Amino acid sequence: MLRSVGLAVLRLLVIMLLASMIGAVLIRVAPGFSSDEQQLNSSLSAQSIQAIKQARLTNSDLPRYYANYLAALLRGDLGISQSLNQPVRDLLRERIPVTMRSLVLALALAWLIGLALAVAAQLTRSRLLTFLTDGVSSTFISTPAVVLALVFVLLRLPPQLAATLLVFPKIYRYSQNLLQQSYQLPHVLTARAKGAGAWRVLAWHVAPMAAPQMLALVGVSVSIALGVLLPIEVICDVPGIGQLAWQAAQSRDLPLLVNLTLVVTFVTVCATMLSDSARRSFTRSAA
Amino acid sequence: MKRFLLFALALLVGPLAFAQNGGELRFCINSEPKTFNPLLAQDDNSEVIRYLTAGVLLRVNRITQKPQPELATGWKVLDGGKRIRFKLREGLRYSDGTQFSSADVAYTMQQLMDPALHSTTGDAFRSAEGKVTAQAVSPTVVEIAFPAPVANLVNLFDTVAIVSEKSPQKETATLGPFYMAEHKSGSYILLKRNPNYWKKDAAGRPLPYLDSVRLEIEQNREIEALRYRRGEVHLINTVSPAIFEKFTADDPSLVRDAGVSSDTEQLWFNQSPTASLPDYKRAWFTSTNFRRAISQAINREDMARVVFRGHAKPAIGIISPANKFWFNSKLKPHPYDPAAAIKLLQQDGFHQENGVLKDRGGHAVEFSIITNAGNRPRENMAAMIQEDLKKIGIKVSVAPMDFPSLIERISDKLNYEACLLGLVNADLDPNSQMNVWLSSADNHQWNARQKTPATPWEAQIDKLMRAQSSSADNSKRKQYWDEVQQIAWEQEPFIYLVNKDTLVAIAPGVKNAQPSTLRPQTYWNVEELALK
Amino acid sequence: MKALRWGATALLILAALAAIGAHYVAPAGYEHQFRESPGVSPSAQHPLGTDDLGRDRFARLIYGLRVSLILAPLAAALTTLMAALIGGIAGYCGGWVEGCALVIMDLFLSIPWLFLLITVRAMLPLNISPESSVFITFLLLGVLGWAASARIICAGTRDLLKSEFVWLARASGFSGFKLLRLHLLPNLRGTLLAQFWISIPVFIIAEANLGAMGLGVAEPLPSLGSLLRELQNVVTLRPEPWRFMPLLVLIMVVSCFQTLLNKNEVRT
Repeated sequence: MLRSVGLAVLRLLVIMLLASMIGAVLIRVAPGFSSDEQQLNSSLSAQSIQAIKQARLTNSDLPRYYANYLAALLRGDLGISQSLNQPVRDLLRERIPVTMRSLVLALALAWLIGLALAVAAQLTRSRLLTFLTDGVSSTFISTPAVVLALVFVLLRLPPQLAATLLVFPKIYRYSQNLLQQSYQLPHVLTARAKGAGAWRVLAWHVAPMAAPQMLALVGVSVSIALGVLLPIEVICDVPGIGQLAWQAAQSRDLPLLVNLTLVVTFVTVCATMLSDSARRSFTRSAA
Repeated sequence: MKRFLLFALALLVGPLAFAQNGGELRFCINSEPKTFNPLLAQDDNSEVIRYLTAGVLLRVNRITQKPQPELATGWKVLDGGKRIRFKLREGLRYSDGTQFSSADVAYTMQQLMDPALHSTTGDAFRSAEGKVTAQAVSPTVVEIAFPAPVANLVNLFDTVAIVSEKSPQKETATLGPFYMAEHKSGSYILLKRNPNYWKKDAAGRPLPYLDSVRLEIEQNREIEALRYRRGEVHLINTVSPAIFEKFTADDPSLVRDAGVSSDTEQLWFNQSPTASLPDYKRAWFTSTNFRRAISQAINREDMARVVFRGHAKPAIGIISPANKFWFNSKLKPHPYDPAAAIKLLQQDGFHQENGVLKDRGGHAVEFSIITNAGNRPRENMAAMIQEDLKKIGIKVSVAPMDFPSLIERISDKLNYEACLLGLVNADLDPNSQMNVWLSSADNHQWNARQKTPATPWEAQIDKLMRAQSSSADNSKRKQYWDEVQQIAWEQEPFIYLVNKDTLVAIAPGVKNAQPSTLRPQTYWNVEELALK
Repeated sequence: MKALRWGATALLILAALAAIGAHYVAPAGYEHQFRESPGVSPSAQHPLGTDDLGRDRFARLIYGLRVSLILAPLAAALTTLMAALIGGIAGYCGGWVEGCALVIMDLFLSIPWLFLLITVRAMLPLNISPESSVFITFLLLGVLGWAASARIICAGTRDLLKSEFVWLARASGFSGFKLLRLHLLPNLRGTLLAQFWISIPVFIIAEANLGAMGLGVAEPLPSLGSLLRELQNVVTLRPEPWRFMPLLVLIMVVSCFQTLLNKNEVRT
């Protein structure tokens, strides 16, 4: 047990290290890393522009920057944001809870709706219901996240909740297909032929078959939801990490971006690891 | 009778007093300010905070465009612009209660001139090699000396926030109408009324009328407009033409067109000899005839009418007619005349083959225009240029990109052909454009950092710019600057497209607002603003 | 349900025909600027009105459909194929192969790809044709979008390998590719189809968002995504319902795909 926890933590650390390293390389290589908006300020003298350029280049020696960053990280120092002149730690402390709250709420609702609809469509086998839920999910999956979020703003609703409507069709779609697939399995067909009740078939025969992939979906749905939520934060100015990340990206703020990559990686990997371990223990107990 | 009079007086004054005091003014800024230190403020949002909180020696009135006394009751420019002496107001206190004196001005100047600060104002004061010194002559008199005459010296003090030398709160202690009370990262900034603010209105009541100003961080212009429409915010400094039209249709009192602004939108070709361009393209871009032909083939009237829905004027040159004193009124707009454009091109050996324009060497004329992505009017202008130039056989590709990538291309790597961008002219004085027009300057965009001027006309502009910069006589400076405008009009290194109107939104509940075409358009007289 | 499927097929064919024959369906062309009538309401000449520059909205929709309807399903197929291959192989092999694959998938889900896209744009020539630019964009989307469903496929494969009927199949002599083809893939089909279906609209919309990086279609070529971008103008949008046509068309296309995919599902 202790060993597997240790391994998991190690794996998490390796992935975080790799992600932040690759992220830092991508940011460093991207055009505009060493340029600053102030360069276009015609009131600045040549010396000042030169100095601003030099300042932008302080982090350009990537291996050195990264080594210093890791050393500081071990001391709990996340560095200073280049664009906002504030400690990254303070910025993250303010922003992470906002995004996490939205994420948990949006995901919980999306799973509730998505799964309920998929199960209902399977159990009732009502063509009308399937037709309607398919239609609704097609509509939401085709609507740009940004547009839906803005409609929420128009309706005076919290725009973060728009993420629910954008994530549930994906959960519905995957789970519906998984359920459908499981219902086609030979032993489920046998059980149904023998006259087992609908709920019994679902609980005893279908759920165990679909569960492993479903649990994998739980883990992945976190990154799907983040992928929807972050742009919503940007466009609707929700003060979460999405808005912060966009601002950091626009000014190529390396210290801030590297830390944000770490946060996103941490959340994503933790979610997939938790769902993996849940799946493993489920398969074990099912066996 | 006495009671009746009192009652009548109360009836009269009551609503007035009610109207003139208290309340929270709200408007949006589009991103987090990068600093709250007024001496470091360079970005727009930090400048907003500085404008609302900092005390300055003098302020340029945004309507009359003339300086008026603030912390200084008077000033005198000495030695032909090499020295300036300020007489200061007495008995003023910072927001935290610290006494204000001439030592603070001297301290501010010393901080501002720190070369490590890279302040735009500091750079403007640094007219030549040598030190800028500030000396407190007495507690109410301060004298500042410069190594060489500084053009536009007085107006430069509009942006010098006087910070306190002794206050324990350092630069957060303010002399302006407000001080910063609260900041929630990514969400809002709350400024509260400075209880020690010195200014009073004509009736002797303390200013500002407002209790607080709340700045909401909102980069989405659509949501900003929506919030304005719902009454959640009171002001918008620049409204897009589309929203302006929509609001006008809903209720004309919601928005105002304050007239043509001093900002410009321009297209330029990369003429740098070090740019990675094929020689034949460099030959096109460095040809005056080619640039003038392109300019004549662009329909600016259509651009102003379609993209800006009539809220823009075809641009004439460097300076917008909004800049009353410095605009060269002899210059006329460039006419839209594709036939004349083709004639000009023919002089350079260009010819049309099956509707495609080709140069002497048989190369089809085609180039790309880069611009910043996400700026809808600019993307639309690019699409219109594309369509206009197609008519004379030129193929244009439009490449929008994110701002940092664009800056890298135009400032460092020079790997572009043409660029469409705007220039915000916050300062009306031509001296603020030195770093654009000097051929050795970084912002001489079409061919920056030249060792020696590449063309005779650039050499002439260099000479004229230096002459205007070292003179304190504005009528002489105007002559030099008129000539620069004339040369730029003939040579068209920048092809000026339009001057946008200043479209603002001021809620009907905001009193005493006098929108200006200069920044900050709606709240430049914030201490006098009141809410109904 | 059969009628519904026929309807869906007919609609998709109609959309495809309109897109292919765009030149005849919308002779106004997508780039001509009717500058005397920008932003006008629908009329006989302009069935969906004109946009801000006076370009015919109907023509832009039909041409935009052509771009998006060809490229988005291709990119979706690519991403689904990659998910199936990588997820399937990882799950099938297990052990360190799976371990490495899972680390790569987690990395793919966490890395800020935005900067890769910006870099790719910087490497492309500025005068790249709008068609090539949009093709590259969809290709990138296809290549980068596989990780989430690969994870589900990998989990599915691994668990199927332990299931009784696969043991039975193995006992009857099935192995390797045959096992994968006959028993594993059909059981993962649900996930794969879901991935394919979801990717189509997601890519169409993502292509428009990449416009901010200078990727995707460039002026004057329209795409369904770039037309949808107009819907972001919430304040000015309300009185003009015809601006919602691109959204309706996208919903229609996605629904049709869904109906057809469900049909395949039932057959298995």
